[in-house]
Amino acid sequence: MCLSALNPNTRAIVPGAPKVQQTTELQRPLQIPIHPQLLTLRTSQPTLEHHGTGYDLTNSVFSPDGRNFQVEYAVKAVENGGTSIGIRCKDGVVLAVEKIITSKLLKAGANKRIATIDRHVGAVSSGLVPDGRHFVSRARDEAASWRSTYKTPITTKDLASRMGGYLQAYTLYSSVRPFGITAIVAGWDSELELPVDGQVGSGPSIGSGGKVEGMTFGGPGLYMIEPSGMYWGYYGAATGKGRQTAKAELEKLDLAALKLSLQDGVKEAAKIIYVAHADNKDKEFELEMTWISNLDGPTKGRHQEVPKDILEEAENLAKKYLEGEDDEETKDDDKPAEGDKMEE
Amino acid sequence: MNHLPQAWGRPRDDIYGAYDSSYLQSHGPNQHTQQPIVTGTSVVALKFKDGVIIAADNLASYGSLARFTDVKRLRTFADTSVVGFGGDVSDMQYLDRLLTSLDTEEAYSSSGHTLNAHNLHTYLSKVFYKRRSDFNPLWNQILVAGLDGESKPFLASADLLGTTFSSPSLATGFGAHLAQPLLRKVAPDEEAAAKLSKEQALEAVKESMKVLFYRDARSLDNYSIAVITKDGIDLKENEKLEKQSWAFADQIRGYGTQIN
Amino acid sequence: MFRNNYDNDSVTFSPQGRIFQVEYASEAVKQGSVVVGIVSKTHAVLVALKRNAEELSSYQKKVIAIDEHLGLALAGLASDARVLSNFMKQQSLSSRLTYGRAIPVERLVSSIGDRAQTNTQHYGKRPYGVGLLVAGVDETGPHLFEFQPSGMTQEMAACAIGARSQMARTYLERNLEKFGACGREELVVHGLKALKESLAQDKELTVENCSVGVVGLGKGGKGLEGFKLFDGQEVKQWVDLVAEGAEEKEGEGEDEGMEVDS
Repeated sequence: MCLSALNPNTRAIVPGAPKVQQTTELQRPLQIPIHPQLLTLRTSQPTLEHHGTGYDLTNSVFSPDGRNFQVEYAVKAVENGGTSIGIRCKDGVVLAVEKIITSKLLKAGANKRIATIDRHVGAVSSGLVPDGRHFVSRARDEAASWRSTYKTPITTKDLASRMGGYLQAYTLYSSVRPFGITAIVAGWDSELELPVDGQVGSGPSIGSGGKVEGMTFGGPGLYMIEPSGMYWGYYGAATGKGRQTAKAELEKLDLAALKLSLQDGVKEAAKIIYVAHADNKDKEFELEMTWISNLDGPTKGRHQEVPKDILEEAENLAKKYLEGEDDEETKDDDKPAEGDKMEE
Repeated sequence: MNHLPQAWGRPRDDIYGAYDSSYLQSHGPNQHTQQPIVTGTSVVALKFKDGVIIAADNLASYGSLARFTDVKRLRTFADTSVVGFGGDVSDMQYLDRLLTSLDTEEAYSSSGHTLNAHNLHTYLSKVFYKRRSDFNPLWNQILVAGLDGESKPFLASADLLGTTFSSPSLATGFGAHLAQPLLRKVAPDEEAAAKLSKEQALEAVKESMKVLFYRDARSLDNYSIAVITKDGIDLKENEKLEKQSWAFADQIRGYGTQIN
Repeated sequence: MFRNNYDNDSVTFSPQGRIFQVEYASEAVKQGSVVVGIVSKTHAVLVALKRNAEELSSYQKKVIAIDEHLGLALAGLASDARVLSNFMKQQSLSSRLTYGRAIPVERLVSSIGDRAQTNTQHYGKRPYGVGLLVAGVDETGPHLFEFQPSGMTQEMAACAIGARSQMARTYLERNLEKFGACGREELVVHGLKALKESLAQDKELTVENCSVGVVGLGKGGKGLEGFKLFDGQEVKQWVDLVAEGAEEKEGEGEDEGMEVDS
């Protein structure tokens, strides 16, 4: 049994219960972009009227007005989870999550919530934590199977597409429930023309060798995948309890211009998590951050934890920013304190 | 086992007689790999005080044709171990990808700990054994160099049959015949290897590579060499053999056309 | 029969995004007798309260050794725990066979977490009705993990699950700062004291109803002190230390010691 695990031919992707076939892009079932939130704008929130009608008791069943309530309820699980965000910067991507401390007995600094999918891709999710782990496990399998097929790392975009398809499949059958998470996937696709995995030589030493001058590759990627299976690419993404506040903060950054540096992105990310948490002050939290820089940057294209010193610096700035917001009116109180210091 | 990868894993003709190919039928049971195609020759390695040195030339031969001259046969794993491959190059590429996926899986956890050279050797030997038991061998002999769980120098061999062994110095292919005795002279046992300086070990390995280039027709004077210590891997992939002296060549008798 | 329409199976979300079947499974954990786990810089211990069905029956097994370097304690459905622990034994053995390496504790715990999650997303399955505390040592030191029926796994500094475990948790929270520097003996005693907090009024700790599991780094922080399970007379040494009366003396002694140190 153990040895069969060694044979890569039998290292099959572990599928979830629904028979999701490994299909190509074209064969994939059409994704019908029903945005749960858009739909709830049109119709009323699920209220008592739906209870007893039975349309909200089973997954994959449409109600007479075209809604899949079980997917909408899954979104509710997301909305109760800790805030997760991602920021796409010019030279990298950063992920951050607000980890609510549910017990004093938890080991501090352990229990990482942002996972490495492949060397260059990370993912974080808000909602049911075990569902998030299922997502990560599948995403890792997708990335590995992509590598074994194409001998090259999966792009962030392709991974988002594969995972969108996977989550969508969990809305199709009454034998499963949708994922109770919204996931943010961040990656840096190498800006160099990559060697094929396992390549041994460097090709012909004369002639173009199939290379095209001036061609550009890769860059930052950021995608958010919802329980419905729907996904979009983002400049800045936020989900979980504090998503509204976080989105408002993200919008201030003009991320579409792609001018924000990764170093500044880390500081902004910490600030946004702290600001978003301010609405939920009674609970303590831990900030976890990871990043992926370009090949010249601090992580050399790999998904890694933000180093402790940089994380602490960003957290201190975030705290200072929050204090500043609180003390706006009480500035006069600070002045004597400064005066004291100068006397010393 | 002799220096010809083609002969590895076969019953020796001089003992068992030539293989009766009438048993081979085009229809019938599945046939897997029967012989390597593009091959690399020797890998040599030597332990020293602080780590291990491993070297292999950059040639991939197609039979007797020197087909590819820039093939890097030392593959690194997680900045802590080096695997040197002799034998079939496409099987080496397959194993290299296997190591990449293993490295990726190890990086899922951010603890910073990964498989050491000893773990890696155990794993690869099981892969070889599984494949030979399926009658579908990966046609290689490999050397795994790095540090073990106690951060001591580690060096061991595994091959297409799943055979494993370990020694302060190791060499595959032709090197097992020509380089191994030279390396044993500087490091006859573990105690001796533990006293070797990096410079002494480097000199012994480079000398072995030179002798192999003199006498192995499937070798090249372009080679890769790696020094693995607790500080990491120092890998050079485009070294040239220095101070070659072919003066001995005109003393050789018994090959080719000779006048006297 | 049901409290509402949304709690019939584990593939139905309630309008609030809850999965009642999973929440009910966590209730099964609270039916089991209490188990406590604590970790220090050098050791991880598990302490469990065993129950017997009746006077003449044997006591239930609460602590299971998985491998040389780890073991677990369970609260809830013991048969579910056996399924999970058998799987863990296979995984541990497989790691030793293929890599010659003891499996990292977090990886093993995640693997049962992933298994449990599957049971909460597919019709016809039920969530596991057991909670586990997994204690082990690997390359990164001693660890303690909690496993829940939802598939949630968390690394803890100390933890208690099972019936009336809130009182034990309160004890652990109060003494949390002390645990890091504890040796194995002190850690076991803390575990038993926490366990005692959760006892029903007419019950006390005896050699019959206590199980202790210990694993840690070897002497001088090198190597491994393998997972060892203590039962019956083997736990007398510790049970006596926390027995009624002995405790007072013990407590005074400790306080004095502390003062001298500072």
